[in-house]
Amino acid sequence: MPANDKLVFALPNGRILTEVLPLLARAGIVPEAAFSDPAARQLRFATNDPSIDIVRTRAFDVATYVAFGAAHVGVAGNDVLMEFDYDEIYAPLDLGIGKCRVAVAAPAETLGQDDPRRWSHVVVATKYPNIARRYFARRGIQAECIRLSGAIELAPALGLCTRIVDLVSTGATLKANGLVEVERIADITSRLIVNRAALKTRHAEISPWIDRITEVARAA
Amino acid sequence: MTDFASRALLPAGFADLLPPEAGFEAATVERLMSAFAAQGYVRVKPPLLEFEESLLGGSGAAMARHSFRLMDPVSQRMLALRPDMTLQVARIAAVRLGGEPRPLRLCYAGQVVRVTGDALRSARQFGQIGCELIGSASVAADVEAVQLAASSLVDIGARGLSVDLSSPTLVGAIIEGTGLAGDQAALLRNALDRKDAAAVATHGGEAAAMLGLLLRESGDAARALAALRTAGLPPRATEDARRLEEVVATLGARRPDLAVTVDLVENRGFEYHTGLCFTLFARGVRGELGRGGRYLAGGDFAAGGGEAATGFTLYTDTILRALPSPEPARRVFVPMDAPASTGEALRGAGWATLAALAVHDDTIAEARRLGCSHAWIAGTIHTLGE
Repeated sequence: MPANDKLVFALPNGRILTEVLPLLARAGIVPEAAFSDPAARQLRFATNDPSIDIVRTRAFDVATYVAFGAAHVGVAGNDVLMEFDYDEIYAPLDLGIGKCRVAVAAPAETLGQDDPRRWSHVVVATKYPNIARRYFARRGIQAECIRLSGAIELAPALGLCTRIVDLVSTGATLKANGLVEVERIADITSRLIVNRAALKTRHAEISPWIDRITEVARAA
Repeated sequence: MTDFASRALLPAGFADLLPPEAGFEAATVERLMSAFAAQGYVRVKPPLLEFEESLLGGSGAAMARHSFRLMDPVSQRMLALRPDMTLQVARIAAVRLGGEPRPLRLCYAGQVVRVTGDALRSARQFGQIGCELIGSASVAADVEAVQLAASSLVDIGARGLSVDLSSPTLVGAIIEGTGLAGDQAALLRNALDRKDAAAVATHGGEAAAMLGLLLRESGDAARALAALRTAGLPPRATEDARRLEEVVATLGARRPDLAVTVDLVENRGFEYHTGLCFTLFARGVRGELGRGGRYLAGGDFAAGGGEAATGFTLYTDTILRALPSPEPARRVFVPMDAPASTGEALRGAGWATLAALAVHDDTIAEARRLGCSHAWIAGTIHTLGE
């Protein structure tokens, strides 16, 4: 099978990966040994199935690869899907893993001093400028978003912003940085995602995998 | 030079098309238009600019946020640059060709301009080629539209073509049956458009189970139709289901080679459609090659009315990505010492000729320098190797 005709699965690096791999293994997809070798520099891996390759990227990039059809199938949190809102991504299955939430947090000491209902404008540090802007717009507030890629919890204490919008799982990081969660925007889980055109044109190849992964995700 | 080069910078989303692509695009458009003409579709050519309120009023409202506008110094009214040609053709059919016998078959090709690109198409100007079949509500008309779009793409060499059939009113009828409205209905539509199974379960209300089933079973035509038969559809949706069955059966009989999938919950981009719709994809090609379906021509979609119509639009840029690269042109270099009639004779035999404008010592080298595939030397045509 020519390399460019393989089905490409895009998986996110990090915490989610350790939950996704056992799921894929039960569905019958096991990456080659180099995949779990921390010294390996390669980014594209073969699997036990000659028709499937796996690529590993940052969580946000999984959605981009799948939206543009560079990867056909992927795993992404609905935080990423909400942020990009790509038309070309289908999310046929909630994998029920990677549970957390997208929330607004504020410095604990400012609470009660400032009534958000009076705001016309707020400065927000976040990885999710679109989610934040939409969320505040629904409340009639213009959000000026400062895009950061990590350590968002630091921003309010250094005077960069008055609110952050970020992923929260246990809340421990917020607490350690003097922040409290003030509102939950959405509950997050990881989804199996599929490129729209690929699902239409390679339906017979892709849909059995969706069915099989659905089965093992339900059994888990 | 640097100054001149910087003047070549174009606004984002606009590009110069160069040889050989520009020629290939024009030839592709002409081949498609001839295929449409061969099946009785006659060409119309609407203008680039129209009054904003007529182009973007009524059913054109959905395109309003895509349109460039400018002030007309003559009428002192706002004009809009067309973001789409379908509505212009529907207008022509309803008004200027309102007296023509039905069914009326029209085709068109032209450029459209939009204020922003989208995720898959960063271009703000692209070509549309399409057909409209106005004045028939029959299954035969639905089949003709799908078959004409698909066959003409296959005939010009599109590879791995696949037709996705859908019926947006089917889901509309189901959602209406649940009594969901406003924001709730919009959330559900959005979840269905993104095939987000979890969100459909959350926002689906009473219909969550039925919609979940239709979503899961979408894809393979036989499997999707089987699901429709057992889904327990509300009465208003049964006509949509029957139409889908008939079109799948007729297409299967006429074009068994065509890959057909059925999407039972597709609605995106078909907000103004009133029946059977279809989208064309090609394996390995990003985005849609085209889309079409049933609508009411000349009516106000919100207010109802208008004539039964169907049609489709193909996107030139996506089609070109689905076609094999064109054969390099057969160009023959004709030196100055050739008799005057040589060029005409060669062109008559199907060659493109490049006439020398000066005398060259080495004809072959000059022919090669100018990118010719052949050279005429003393009455014979020499093939130039690499």
